[in-house]
Amino acid sequence: MKLFNPRTMYVVAKKEFLDNIRNKWVIVLTFLFALIIIFVSYAVGSGETFGNMQNTVLGLLSITSFLIPIIAIILGFSTISGEAESGALNVVLSYPAKRIEVLLGKLLGLGSVIIVSVFIGFGVGGVVIALTVGPESWVGYIAFIFLTIFLGFIYLSLAICISAFCKRRITSIGGGILVFFWSFIYGIVITVILYATGGTVDDLLAGNLPDWFYNSVVFSPGDLHQAAVQRAFGVDTINAMGYSYTLPESLSLSNLLIVHIIWLIVPLVLAYIFFKKRDI
Amino acid sequence: MISKTIICPSCKTQMTVQGNPGEKILVTCPNCKNKGYFIIPSPKPISDSISIEINNLTKIYKDVKAVDNVSFNVYNGEIFGFLGPNGAGKTTTIKSMLGLIHVNSGTIKINGFDMKKDSIDVKEKIGFIPEKVSFYDNLTPFQTLCFFCELKGVDKSVVPSLIKEVGLEDAMNRKVGTFSKGMVQLLGIAQAMIGNPSIYILDEPTVGLDARWVRFIRQKIKMLNEQGATVVFSSHILSEVETLCNRVAIINKGKLIAQDTVANLNKYLHIKPRIEISIDKLDGKVPKIIEKIDGVDAANAKGDTLFVTCDSQVRSRVIAALGKAGFKVVNIKTIEPSLEDAFVKLIEGDT
Repeated sequence: MKLFNPRTMYVVAKKEFLDNIRNKWVIVLTFLFALIIIFVSYAVGSGETFGNMQNTVLGLLSITSFLIPIIAIILGFSTISGEAESGALNVVLSYPAKRIEVLLGKLLGLGSVIIVSVFIGFGVGGVVIALTVGPESWVGYIAFIFLTIFLGFIYLSLAICISAFCKRRITSIGGGILVFFWSFIYGIVITVILYATGGTVDDLLAGNLPDWFYNSVVFSPGDLHQAAVQRAFGVDTINAMGYSYTLPESLSLSNLLIVHIIWLIVPLVLAYIFFKKRDI
Repeated sequence: MISKTIICPSCKTQMTVQGNPGEKILVTCPNCKNKGYFIIPSPKPISDSISIEINNLTKIYKDVKAVDNVSFNVYNGEIFGFLGPNGAGKTTTIKSMLGLIHVNSGTIKINGFDMKKDSIDVKEKIGFIPEKVSFYDNLTPFQTLCFFCELKGVDKSVVPSLIKEVGLEDAMNRKVGTFSKGMVQLLGIAQAMIGNPSIYILDEPTVGLDARWVRFIRQKIKMLNEQGATVVFSSHILSEVETLCNRVAIINKGKLIAQDTVANLNKYLHIKPRIEISIDKLDGKVPKIIEKIDGVDAANAKGDTLFVTCDSQVRSRVIAALGKAGFKVVNIKTIEPSLEDAFVKLIEGDT
């Protein structure tokens, strides 16, 4: 017996894409995205011209690791709990469709919305920069686009997991908020641990930090994404806003990508377990 | 002679056609004058073969037995009513039948296939409307039905005719999010009809709808059954179940307390008919006189009408007693026991 039928998965993915591509929040955030990229690029170029791709991307990192999770969480937080509550999932599962097919179809369909959103947002920005200052570092820029899509899929997987676990849409909202703020919570926790183990503010600003502090990015998808993009551009040290930090060798691009994959797969497996056991 | 209610395909006007089974009748719509032939269907015998077989089904939520050792069969070609008060376990049973709920014990066989092992094959033959129907707000009915066709592996070319069949042609390109509850329910019917299923499972399909949609949906259920489908139909509207269903099952507090035809239920429960007797100048003492007659269960007076619950054969003795007491009977009406009477007696007895 086949584990799943790719055709059913495709049918569910297509429906999810058609239903969610018109989500007004996703549309608004996509256009905001494109505008921010152009604005950041111009600001990086000291307000006289557009900055090059590398500097623009490094300037954009904190914004993408903020906006992409929002889009992914909006798309996925109630995809199971909300549909179970409304009754739509009852109908879908009364058809010859396995729960694994519905789950993977949802991931792919909603993920396609993120892909379109990222391509529109970064595509417009990238074209403007390439036309004005030249397409240098374009390999890094493309890597940045793919890593951003990867980040979107990680948050989508987390959001679907929340949605499969929560019985009701309203509780899924709470779960979505927790996932969104996880990077901030992680930042606070890790800084508290640093101080508790003898670290100082000066050490933090100078980037004079133990390796475990850098390696702890594996616990935060947003920071993981930032580290991976840095590596993709070959930038080991960043000096920004009074901070200076150099990534340790253990955080190589390949290692970072493996952790990305773990962040994608684990929530998805949990989502399947919750969804399979769930009474609809 | 059989009477059939049909709907004009052009203007949706309802007409009644009478004729013998197999007779071809030329029908003219009184509204749009559209003409067409209608063949009176032969009365469909209800098969002995089992379509749905539920055995010892139990579902426990935490400490509550929502469904407690329920067993029943649904036969091919029948309309089977599933009745019970709110929270009795109707929806849980229906959802279990479709594998939407994981049961604690028991087996469900549909067309001979085990629902646990062969659910994908079985679901191809089922059309389902849940109690709360909902679709996707940003899709049109056309896109919605195309999605469900693809899910069932049915050619999408059937979608326009399905939309026409439920009368949603004018809303074909509107987003479902803008639909009224009735329109969503109609779309629900259209989706259930995809692939001409041999079994329809309908959970309270008329709940919350206005009279116009209720009537339409009841006609659709009848029509689907006449075309050979088996229909399992849950409702708390007793008159609806009584009108539509061949057999009923009554569930209360998770337990199946009865299953039979409405007539057999009343017979088995010894529910007597009620006689309404209109009397000229009815006196307050009359009910007491009538209650003394052997075989009379109860007698009450309201205005000039006397209500007597008794066996049919006692009726003549009641009339004679009224005549002897000097009362003039103006009119007599016998009301046969209804499903409601059986339902109330069963539920009260169970309580």
